Amino acid sequence: MGADVASTAPPKDRTRGRKALGWRNPFLALGTRRALTSIAIALLIWEIGSTSGTWLGHPLPILGVVPSPVSVAVAWSHLIGDPGYWQSWYLSFLRVLLGFSAAVVVGIPFGLLLAINKTFRGIAFPVFELLRPIPPLAWVPASVIFWPTQELSIDFVIFLGAFYTIVLNVVGGARAIDIRLIQVARSMGASRGNIFRRIILPAVLPSICTGMEVGIGITWEVVIAAEMISGGGGASGGDSSAGGGLGFFIWNSYIGGSYPDIIVGMFSIGIAGYLSSAAVRLIEDRITPWRRLR
Amino acid sequence: MSDVEALIAKALPFEALSPAALQEIAAAAQTVEALQGDLIYASGAPANALYIVREGTVLLEPTSGGLPPQSVQAGEAFGWTALGGKAGRRYRAVAASPVSLLRIPGDRVLDLVASSSSDGTELRQHVEDALEDIHAPAGHSAVSRTLELSFYRFAYWLRSPTPYLGLIGYALLLGFWYLSVEVLKLPRFAEMPGLTQVLHEWLSRNPTYGVSIYTPVYYQHIFVSLQRIAIAFALATTLGVPFGLLLGWSRSFKDYLFPLFEIIRPIPILAWVPLAIIMLPGSELPVIFLTFLASFYATALNTMLGVKSIDKTYVLAASCLGASQLQIFRHVIVPGALPYIFTGLQISVGVAWFSLVAAEMVSGQFGLGYLINTSYTTVQYPTIVIAMLTLGILGYATSALVRAAGDWAMQWRARQFAMEGQA
Repeated sequence: MGADVASTAPPKDRTRGRKALGWRNPFLALGTRRALTSIAIALLIWEIGSTSGTWLGHPLPILGVVPSPVSVAVAWSHLIGDPGYWQSWYLSFLRVLLGFSAAVVVGIPFGLLLAINKTFRGIAFPVFELLRPIPPLAWVPASVIFWPTQELSIDFVIFLGAFYTIVLNVVGGARAIDIRLIQVARSMGASRGNIFRRIILPAVLPSICTGMEVGIGITWEVVIAAEMISGGGGASGGDSSAGGGLGFFIWNSYIGGSYPDIIVGMFSIGIAGYLSSAAVRLIEDRITPWRRLR
Repeated sequence: MSDVEALIAKALPFEALSPAALQEIAAAAQTVEALQGDLIYASGAPANALYIVREGTVLLEPTSGGLPPQSVQAGEAFGWTALGGKAGRRYRAVAASPVSLLRIPGDRVLDLVASSSSDGTELRQHVEDALEDIHAPAGHSAVSRTLELSFYRFAYWLRSPTPYLGLIGYALLLGFWYLSVEVLKLPRFAEMPGLTQVLHEWLSRNPTYGVSIYTPVYYQHIFVSLQRIAIAFALATTLGVPFGLLLGWSRSFKDYLFPLFEIIRPIPILAWVPLAIIMLPGSELPVIFLTFLASFYATALNTMLGVKSIDKTYVLAASCLGASQLQIFRHVIVPGALPYIFTGLQISVGVAWFSLVAAEMVSGQFGLGYLINTSYTTVQYPTIVIAMLTLGILGYATSALVRAAGDWAMQWRARQFAMEGQA
């Protein structure tokens, strides 16, 4: 008995001691603490590496030439008051929104048609598969030649980026539907419209959502590249330091030699991409509420 | 001996049967005719009879993934391997052409096996041998059988509407291109390079703009792009797979490194372009770095998901049986994650091309992306289309290669499906 008490007592004491010392903060879970630690260490290494620029007397290869986190923070704090910076945000968002909604509006019906109609699939799918491996950015020059304004050509390339993913997901989702569900519905006298509305559409919605989520990620890749290659295009082009979208903002900062701004731009795009993905996820939660229950 | 008896004796392992037993089976057999496309039996249907093909071909289509489709020619038997068990059909059998079949009631055959003392055991032995044959055909080599099967599938494909519909699709696309650009000269389209112009340029010995299948420079661009993809992809795989395995395997590793990964990941690869140019010397390294980064994310994330997808009971079972951590890692975690890893590699090859082209367009000395961009700035429009189509072909080929590698590495999966039984 005595031994039992002795063996159980110390762990209790230890946890109590930790709590008393404040080690177990209920607001900071183990994972969060570890995350903060690693981020802090990374920032520290980056700061020291880039400000000193040397390692044991030799020039530090990669970190040594990158602007330090402090200089990035300073640059960012200046840019927050700059309307040109926010103009870049607005322009990039506008392009993503246009290209992406076009891809959704065209891609979903196209994908559904591919999945439902065998003849249409036979005709259109091989062509789709032929064009799909061409990276969207390879279309940039062709679309610049084709579309009357540079703005439209950028939107078109963004559209292409999201279009393939959305279509493929819709087709995959529709073809995964158990055929028996449709047979049962038909045997009970459901019309084609009914089957489409009550079986096919709800079954495909999750795949549509997946496609949209992946698609919005790709649109940001494309918009950045398109803005870099075509030199910003649209509204204010080259005259403002930042007016041609975030991709152009980065490129302009590179050309102009303001290196901390490059990193500000990178993180801005990261945040913008994250925000738009969150928005897409919000829409998904709305249209497929049953998925949240899983 | 009637021709029905001869057919039965040839098609089934019934050589050992007495003429009387053979006669009995022949008497019980019925002739069934089916037209092309007719269903002979559905998968899941009770296996109460076996069939011998007299004329035509029957296609056995698997309904679960992983099993290869099989074709049965005249003189061969099918559908009898499920006779002994209670399981239903694993394949659906469809007439691939007008066929004439001999249907033999299964209970008759089973009765014979059970009752006839003289050839019963021998017959059973034959049945078992034939079952073995399904998995490892003894008659002809595996290669010739595979070849035969692929020829058959090709012929079957040719008889289906699929290839012709596809041709219509291509014809519509090319026709639209030709008509809109070169014949009707629609507004906006008129400035695009036309179909015949592109083809002429691509196949010309003396290309107007300097790039065709006869010029070495074309292959130089292709080679440089392929080389970059190969380096970046290999690097991303060797780093991304272990990184993803560790992320999925170790809680503390994930706690420390995943947040950093997740902060950096939303930054599009192309936003890295200027920084990569500043960070890395030369024009080759930045391009490879950008291509690598895209592949790395896809590979690492999918590998992590793969580890997460493994049923915890496998790990528990292995540790119950005394497996060390290392053994669990090697024999449970890695093979369990393989399907996801290969999905990741496929995505990775796709995004690698994507970022390669972008990187080459912005900075680079050679490569197809560079070719597109320079052709654009020097107004050599047909060359843009040639480079685009080449990219499409190469992109398709590389992802087909990765898919083939995945199928090869996961043969155990196909075998596992096949072992679950068939026909």
